[in-house]
Amino acid sequence: MGSPALAVEPDGDLIAQYLAGEERAATELVRRHAAALARYIAAQGAPDDELEDLTQETMFKTFRALGTFRGGASFRTWLLAIGGNVLRDRRRQWRRSRVVELTPDIRDPSGDPGAHAEAGWAAERLEEGVGKLARLQREVFLMRAQQGLGYDEIASGLGISEGAARVHYHHAVKRLKAWIS
Amino acid sequence: MDLMNDELPPELETALKALDARASQRAARVDVERVAARVVERLRQGEASPSRRMLWMSPVALRAAAAVVVLVAGGALVTLTMQHPQQSASVKLPVTIPAADSLNPGQLEAVLQAAGEVRPVVDTAAPVISSGSWDDLSEPQLETLLASLKGAEG
Repeated sequence: MGSPALAVEPDGDLIAQYLAGEERAATELVRRHAAALARYIAAQGAPDDELEDLTQETMFKTFRALGTFRGGASFRTWLLAIGGNVLRDRRRQWRRSRVVELTPDIRDPSGDPGAHAEAGWAAERLEEGVGKLARLQREVFLMRAQQGLGYDEIASGLGISEGAARVHYHHAVKRLKAWIS
Repeated sequence: MDLMNDELPPELETALKALDARASQRAARVDVERVAARVVERLRQGEASPSRRMLWMSPVALRAAAAVVVLVAGGALVTLTMQHPQQSASVKLPVTIPAADSLNPGQLEAVLQAAGEVRPVVDTAAPVISSGSWDDLSEPQLETLLASLKGAEG
């Protein structure tokens, strides 16, 4: 008989540990979810030089609000929802203070330049389209299509009904399809 | 488009893959360990975890408490004015009631209930509160105000 695999502590257990004062649990939750959060924020056009700060700010706000977390949605979904709010607030500040390049030029030297150019164009076009969506459409679309979350999860995280989440998603897809065509 | 079928059209799927690849590439530059260290440090620096924060220390509760102070002081002044009209004819009322729209219905109800339960104390010294809105006060200012209130009660 082999040794049992190391069990991964569920997020709920880590949250309880953090609330009981264990900092280690907070570190573990950040390690577990920061990359997905950064990916989610990046897909919404957050500039490179702000990405780490936005990730940190979202994580911090999430831990500060953990006392109100009731577990209706997963920690990940809740985190992404807060990330969306943090990004929106930051955009307001940017609008007031400076112009930010929302689609930084990222070149990958490897591979076929033609294919890269095409993929780059599609990504830029979609990012632009995502940026034009209404907030809930944008967040539902990315949570579903990019993060692979279920409608029930998305609905709990954003405080809307599952039916509304489906409708937002399909409106988003329709608009984005028209935008990139 | 069928609401039950959430498959993406091919052209959108391709674009999303490209967007996600780019987002992942950018997200990979985020130093997760540094983020974790900073978050923990910020949480440690006086910004206590929720379990250690007392409810009344929240800005909302502090604003509600501060609003109670203003209403009670205002009530005391009005009572004083009505009881001693000649003496207080020239008394200026420097109390500013906070904008009602800065409180939510629950806070407003709490304020009104508290104001109804507290009997005003007649005092010759008129309270001087110069702030136009509780939103203008920072959290430390509100805490100071609340602490002074507690001190006055003790």
